[in-house]
Amino acid sequence: MRLQLRRAILRWSVLASTMLGGGVARADVATFDTSHMLYTESPTRTNMTVYTPGVDASATPAEWLTVRAGYEADVVSGASVAVKAGPAYQANNPAADVVTAASVKDVRHMARGGITLRNGDQTLTAGYAYGIENDYRSNSFFVTAKTEAYEHNTQFELTYSRNFDEVCNRVQGVNSAAPRFTALENSNGCFKSDPLRTLSDVGIDGFQGGWTQAWTPVFMTQLVYSAQIVDGFQSNPYRNVIIGQGLKAQEHHPETRTRQSVSLRLNWFWKPLRAAFRVGIRGYDDTWDVKSGTADVELEKYFGEVFRAAVRGRIYKQTGAIFWSDDYSGGDPPLGPKGQYWTGDRELSPFWSYLVGVRVAIATKPRTDRIVGVFNKLKVGASADMMQFNYDEYTLGGVPITNARAFLFGLTAGATF
Amino acid sequence: MRKPTREASVSISSGTIGLFAIVSMLTISGCVTVKPQQRAVLADPIMQFEGDPQASAQVRHAIENREGSFGGSGVSGGGCGCN
Repeated sequence: MRLQLRRAILRWSVLASTMLGGGVARADVATFDTSHMLYTESPTRTNMTVYTPGVDASATPAEWLTVRAGYEADVVSGASVAVKAGPAYQANNPAADVVTAASVKDVRHMARGGITLRNGDQTLTAGYAYGIENDYRSNSFFVTAKTEAYEHNTQFELTYSRNFDEVCNRVQGVNSAAPRFTALENSNGCFKSDPLRTLSDVGIDGFQGGWTQAWTPVFMTQLVYSAQIVDGFQSNPYRNVIIGQGLKAQEHHPETRTRQSVSLRLNWFWKPLRAAFRVGIRGYDDTWDVKSGTADVELEKYFGEVFRAAVRGRIYKQTGAIFWSDDYSGGDPPLGPKGQYWTGDRELSPFWSYLVGVRVAIATKPRTDRIVGVFNKLKVGASADMMQFNYDEYTLGGVPITNARAFLFGLTAGATF
Repeated sequence: MRKPTREASVSISSGTIGLFAIVSMLTISGCVTVKPQQRAVLADPIMQFEGDPQASAQVRHAIENREGSFGGSGVSGGGCGCN
């Protein structure tokens, strides 16, 4: 579920990327794109595989109007940590295997659509997405305004988004408090009239402002500020955390989280090599005291007129949330209780990661004589990435996670008619 | 009355410098003139900040599900800027 919430938070930005990403040349009448990605990771005791297919279509019946629709799914299978304990508890209870891995099988469906209106150098885009899965419902809206200035050398873009989401949870005792809450066993009865199930709201407000600037005929920069206010149930309802001897409780996160990030990206084309060199840096912080820095580089080169190949790298480091502890039941710092909240989420622990990958693409140039009489433009692409996570404190049953490695494989194809 | 802390002073001055830098760059950007006939490279798909927006969106979708951070993934733009 934690993943599902993250997906909901990302939903509008992914949708906006899909809708705004490549831009639509005015000669395009209709486009069709499909993408497929396989994510697989196998850290200790969990094996998670996610297959994400997607299709998008757009039509531009008039120069001032583009209409888009799309569909995406996440087919998830694997295991997740259902009870989190740390080394102090494990040392006191050597015979207890308190870390359990629950089987996860779920499919998220998301339908999306939107329109773009153009008037000279200004565009206005509005979109909506509806997501559904066993334990989560999402209604996401966004609107983006974009304008260009200084002979198209400068672009400004502002986006606002709003999510109205609901997450399934277990009904807790009337006079029960968070340390006595029990985790959701499964998603049976969710979004039905089951008296043992309830729904918790999650509201997400998102803001983003961007400034893109062409400085020379071969050099551009982009500065982006993003902010989010998340209000509502943000824990994983399925996860229990050992918070004392003989006491386990449902994961308990604060209900409000305000997040912000600033990023700067540079894109420079090196004519002698016919290659683009991209560099990006990002700083992030939030009210849970998670701070992070990201740096990424990519080199993409033309081989011939239509074939491009890219290599990329990314490095990421974050601090843990202020209420993060690997073992709330005791132990020397940094273990021990951390106030009124507790989590077993490794994404809230301090860690760093790196990614290396390659990507290839074949994209025909737009042409006036149609390919096989139908297509104005065709493109196909493939990518492969490897990501390594290095957790500073996170353990499972007191055992450090040392082999958290993920592989990502992607395929894309598109046609313009 | 509570005295301003050293950290607060540093923070304000960093913010002011950052704001000044952005305003200065915005002002300078008005002087930049990349003529339409010089836009051949900028109009090429390789000058998109995300080389393949679809593929990048999917990778970002996967990565940000595994991190405690979000955002800064860019806005549309890059390319020719001539739509």
